[in-house]
Amino acid sequence: MGFVSDLLPHLVNGVSLGLLFALIALGFMLILGVMEVINLAHGSLFALGAYLALTLLASKPGPVAANFAWFTALPLGTRYALALVVAPLLVGFFGMVIELCLRRTYGKDPLYGLLFTFGAALVIEELIRVVWGTRDYVLPLPPAISGSLVVEGLIYGKYRFFAAGFALTMIALLWLFIERTPYGSIIKAGAHDSEIVRALGINLSRLRLFVFALGAGLAGIAGIVMAPIWGIRPHVGVDAVVPAFLIIVLGGVGSFWGAVLASVLVGLAVGLTGAYASEWSLLSMYLLLIAVVTFRARGLFGKKSVLEA
Amino acid sequence: MSRSQAALLALLAAALATLPFWIARVGLYQYLGIEILVWGLYALSFNLLLGYTGLPSFGHGAYFGVGAYAFGLMQKHVSLNLWLDLGGAILAAALCGALVAAFISHRRGIYYALMTIAFGQIFWFVAVKWHSVTGGEDGLLNLKRMPADLGFASIPLTDNVSLYYFVLVVSCLAAWLLWRIVHSPFGRVIQAIRQNETRAAFIGYNVWLYKWLVFVISAGLSGLAGALFGLSQLGAFPDVMSLHSSGFVVMMTLIGGGLVSFWGPLIGAAVFFVARDALGAITSTWPLWYGLMFMAIVLLKPEGIAGMWQSRRARVAPPTVATQPGD
Amino acid sequence: MSKTFSRRRVLKGAAIGAGFAFFGPFRHISYAQGKKPIKLGLTCDASGQYGDSGQDDLRGIVMAIDEFNAKGGVLGRKVIYVTQDTETTPATGSRVAERFITREECGFLIGALSSGVANAVSQVAQKYGCIYLNSNSSSPTEAGKDCHRTKFVWDGNGTNFSKATVKNAVSSLGKNWLLLTNDYVWGINTSKATRAEIESSGGKVIDELMVPQNTRDFTSYMLKIQQAKPDVVAAAIGGDDIKALRQQVAQFKLENKPAWINNQQDWPDVWGQGAASLFGVFGTTWYHKLKLPGVDDFVRRYQARWKDAPIPVPGNVSYNGYMCTRELLSAIGRAGSTNNIAVIKQLEQLKVSAADRMQHYGAYMNPSTHHLQQTIYMARRNDKPVDNTDLFEIVSWTKPEDALDAREDDMACKLETYESTPTYEL
Repeated sequence: MGFVSDLLPHLVNGVSLGLLFALIALGFMLILGVMEVINLAHGSLFALGAYLALTLLASKPGPVAANFAWFTALPLGTRYALALVVAPLLVGFFGMVIELCLRRTYGKDPLYGLLFTFGAALVIEELIRVVWGTRDYVLPLPPAISGSLVVEGLIYGKYRFFAAGFALTMIALLWLFIERTPYGSIIKAGAHDSEIVRALGINLSRLRLFVFALGAGLAGIAGIVMAPIWGIRPHVGVDAVVPAFLIIVLGGVGSFWGAVLASVLVGLAVGLTGAYASEWSLLSMYLLLIAVVTFRARGLFGKKSVLEA
Repeated sequence: MSRSQAALLALLAAALATLPFWIARVGLYQYLGIEILVWGLYALSFNLLLGYTGLPSFGHGAYFGVGAYAFGLMQKHVSLNLWLDLGGAILAAALCGALVAAFISHRRGIYYALMTIAFGQIFWFVAVKWHSVTGGEDGLLNLKRMPADLGFASIPLTDNVSLYYFVLVVSCLAAWLLWRIVHSPFGRVIQAIRQNETRAAFIGYNVWLYKWLVFVISAGLSGLAGALFGLSQLGAFPDVMSLHSSGFVVMMTLIGGGLVSFWGPLIGAAVFFVARDALGAITSTWPLWYGLMFMAIVLLKPEGIAGMWQSRRARVAPPTVATQPGD
Repeated sequence: MSKTFSRRRVLKGAAIGAGFAFFGPFRHISYAQGKKPIKLGLTCDASGQYGDSGQDDLRGIVMAIDEFNAKGGVLGRKVIYVTQDTETTPATGSRVAERFITREECGFLIGALSSGVANAVSQVAQKYGCIYLNSNSSSPTEAGKDCHRTKFVWDGNGTNFSKATVKNAVSSLGKNWLLLTNDYVWGINTSKATRAEIESSGGKVIDELMVPQNTRDFTSYMLKIQQAKPDVVAAAIGGDDIKALRQQVAQFKLENKPAWINNQQDWPDVWGQGAASLFGVFGTTWYHKLKLPGVDDFVRRYQARWKDAPIPVPGNVSYNGYMCTRELLSAIGRAGSTNNIAVIKQLEQLKVSAADRMQHYGAYMNPSTHHLQQTIYMARRNDKPVDNTDLFEIVSWTKPEDALDAREDDMACKLETYESTPTYEL
């Protein structure tokens, strides 16, 4: 029993890590699955979300504190909740700008879209460096969700559970949105057959704009949620982009639950190897990817998509 | 090749051949010339995959890096013969390419791209972790510039000017090889694969084999570029295998016009290094400007600099018989 | 744009193998040597992992340059500098070093935190005989197997910090230790030294957990540490990984049981993350609130020079930058010329008094490894700060002799001979 009780906390850790990875990968997956664009700016948008939330939280003197004194008077918890909503909206706006530029590349080689977002990633990261500087920042957390939690004699970080729970909620909400609302059906249809969608009178370009904004906003939320764990620095986005890629390929392009399952698998791989073979914890996700893709070329639940052409 | 193209090529050759004499006058320095050639070769080999076969490899830094490490390790443990060590580097990189290509050649599009990234990361990881062999993040250091022994003469390469000429000669040979490849039947098939893989398969070509072969060739020549880089830098470091660095070769290939021109990547490499050096001396935010320029080119003129030149030529000169893409 | 350059006059040829650089068509334009400025090339990061610290390094260096110029320069010549971002990337380091030496004609190079960049730069510097001061890289290999005749290392390395802490800690904190090791050369070498110290002090290493570079999530390690129940955890974690670890341990509030011993923490990193993230005992080479003569004045001068700096007080990084530059310029003055071999010989015999160092003990250069031996401080989070910059509480200070890294000396380091090092005088 000793082995199991030693293993259990690591399993819990792995699953919670997986949920966090899923949150990170969600925005990327949405844009890829629906619009067939590899958004390499995902990492930079992730970082941007964290920085914007930091500024909005206005815990230190700055532009927001100077102009909105009534805001800084609010308790940290309220400000945090507001930042969690407003910052992603701002990131979504950036996403819209990217999508508007990307329009010129639709219909051409999908490589161009990918390359454009690569350039965008570079530019956004550099802009962050110009505006906020190169130093590290810490996102202040409301006391309700920070601190530690003791379970079965082991100390866990409380925030971790909050973050994993939040991730789970976001996954559920997104799924509900896509599967159970008419807007979601339009998005899915747009992915499958854009001509018919247009023929049905739906404004496809507005749809695409919205989806990209949503994907960017999700990247931003992930950035805010991960900030207390990973820290805030200009190049933090790189840590987000690579796992996101991996998870999407592992789960299969175009599959929502594939991405979620893949995230949990990756989380477990990293968490368990971290416990028992820690040198390989980061490599494990790549090995997992190669193993799966060798046998199931499209990932776990991948569907045949236009992207393969 | 048309006459104006031949003239341009001659001009390029003359500029490169006389570089040590004018590089300082334009405010640059010899080492930069070497770097441009090395990365130009790297980008040319990379373009075999991207521009000619339509395969996006985002982890190509791995083969460049393997070439540098293999060169260094051969130099330290096997032999001080320059040719042998360069050959070993090409072989090592080609073998790694062969291994990776075996896993991915049946894919295309984003799956292909994402797998190349995954493999690129693995190579980077190995380079850092296996530090007893590679030196880890400290790098594989104290490499030497052995003389180029031609049998009748032995040319020392210790100073940057001699090294430059050596790299120039080797790059020209490699570029000639690449030119012959893309203008051969093999080259036509890979371009057919780029246009429509399914159709190429229907005609009867073994698409998997062609994709595998082109990856191996591209990796091998990238390894040669890496070895030459190791020779110039006197060391090999894991950083060239990073996603960031692999992304740079994609950017310079595209900006130069690799998608429409054989020489595009070389132009792209030159522009990248000169811009970076010139801008970098003025501001530390050069990636911002370079990134913006890159985005503008992708949106407005994805055919890149070579493409711009080609359209200008088409406007100015009467249209000739359609040449094959990639000239 | 036409520029005429005066090229270095190579005074001595080089010996077998090492070769010397050929700089192209010579133009012998003789400046009146007395009027020509002394040019320094500052290879500092402005982006990448060490972008923030690199800029702090730069501030210390430039401050020293300005102070010398205010006193009339060195040998009656003004000191000027150029700087370029080395991007925490070795290939960029090589290119910038080549540019500084061949195009900018710098006589001396200063900078670098990352060992990869430092190695790239120092190889180029040695090739041309250009003196290079590695201001802030703390890898035990810098003055070990990667030493060079033209290179001088000014920061304490991982082993120095381990040695300074471990002996006392075994007796005061406990015998069972767990090592948390970042799986790259710096981390591994530092942990090796720690292990040797632990075992020679009568302690025991019950486990060593390897942390791959770029680990962002330490929960599995936190859990394992709790399951293993050591008395002390010695962490050889650096770069971005220690920043993530600090955030997470602070949330866990895991800091008191077990006790934590960290290696050197750079002031720019700590400033960015704030006092709340500091945990355990950690090392530094200097602190701006040391109760020593000269410290307050130095801090005031820094603040006057850098009014809008992102970091309001100097820390170990800017301190090292300032000190190495000051010693270089003084050495040139003492040598009476910029002849590189003469300056190298001055630096090799360098001894600086404690008062001049603003440290508790004097510092001295080890002539066989070119590593400056200095006072090593251990600190912990200050729970009674006097102002918002007072993050550290200094716990102990160790004599340089007691923190000596014996392995780099004589065993791993083989300096090139004077004869094989190209000489010049700019």
